[in-house]
Amino acid sequence: MTSDIPSTRAGEYVLGTLAGAECEAFRAALATDPQLQAEVREWERRLAPLSGAVSPESPSPAVWSAIEGKLAAREAAPAEVRVPATDTAAATVVRLRRSVRFWRGIAATAGALAAVLILLIAGSVLWPKLDVGQYPGGREYLAVVNRGGDLPALIVRVDTREGIVTVHALGAEAPPGRSLELWYIAAGKTPKSLGLVGSSATPILVPAVLRPDGVEGAAFAVTAEPKGGSPTGSPTGPILYSGKLVEVQR
Amino acid sequence: MLIEREDLSVLMAAVAEGDRLAFKHLYDRTSARLLGIIRRIVRDRALAEEVLQEVYLRIWERAATYRTEVGSALTWMISIARHRAIDVLRQHKEIVLAPMDDGEDWLERVAGPGDGEADLEDRDQLRRCLERLEEPQRSCILLAYCDGYSRDELATRYDTPVNTIKTWLHRSLAVLRTCLEAP
Repeated sequence: MTSDIPSTRAGEYVLGTLAGAECEAFRAALATDPQLQAEVREWERRLAPLSGAVSPESPSPAVWSAIEGKLAAREAAPAEVRVPATDTAAATVVRLRRSVRFWRGIAATAGALAAVLILLIAGSVLWPKLDVGQYPGGREYLAVVNRGGDLPALIVRVDTREGIVTVHALGAEAPPGRSLELWYIAAGKTPKSLGLVGSSATPILVPAVLRPDGVEGAAFAVTAEPKGGSPTGSPTGPILYSGKLVEVQR
Repeated sequence: MLIEREDLSVLMAAVAEGDRLAFKHLYDRTSARLLGIIRRIVRDRALAEEVLQEVYLRIWERAATYRTEVGSALTWMISIARHRAIDVLRQHKEIVLAPMDDGEDWLERVAGPGDGEADLEDRDQLRRCLERLEEPQRSCILLAYCDGYSRDELATRYDTPVNTIKTWLHRSLAVLRTCLEAP
């Protein structure tokens, strides 16, 4: 059957006919697989003449004005969201309230995140560098943690049998003078810290704080915290990346 | 509208350096083409312009990641536009997919004299290869690429199980690939 050939999947991806979960899984694999990236570029090149058959349409001048406006606004505020440096009681309260709002926000958007981030494809395809076959009987979950529609910043893998969480940092960047902290949020629970995220692409092993029954529907988020991690044990900085755990189907 | 490959990659290199004027030139040269492509997929003109705006912001952000050796700048921009348009289409379930012209008509336009498009190669070859596909398999490819039809929507349109659509698409892609790679 041709469906397992990477070129065919790449072709369908370029056509746009991969369905939601399948498409997200493909994108996750694409982020780390140069071979797949080459296949996608080939299909884009092969099919591009089709778009030559579409009639051009001039955009209204408002579009360029809006683009210019956004670029100017970005220049005015280039840095990451700033966390207040003062540590008075009042400032702490403000920060905590703010973080509560952030976490409510993430709960509210959990559905949307699920749609964007679900991964439902064979673990071997998604995770070419790890032999998933070595964990017979264990349940495995993956989350692609990203910012908006960007390429993944982290890939988080949870193996409930081994009781380990493996974090691959792909493109996560800490704002200057800050540390990235990874949080695990079980459905309806307060965030738990899983430790700091390094900048290297090597796996980070952290002790599991996850109960198997708490894994389904859980989300991950990465916040910018003061150097060395959150002083309070709860997230205090802005969420830079987030993603949701999905079981790997074998 | 003649879009020269050389010019666009030069502009793109300048955009990667943060050159706003080059970005404006790039926009002026390519925005009508990208809007046409986006509009065809999302249908609604206002929504298409919103998507167009996002697409150019992405192009600005990612210009530094573009490499001339991986393909033409226009192809790169078109793929950003199509992916974004299709994502938006899938989020807006209420968009009604209107019937389009039949496949034959499209084939002619793929191969027609067009607009002096110098940036998209192999038009004639793609046309010849598309002719090897039978209907409605060929229309499925065109509807998916140009109009953003999903497998489910194709299944509804052709009153065919979605697995059959998937098989059609895979076979058609295999035929196109073999044909386009032939010397």
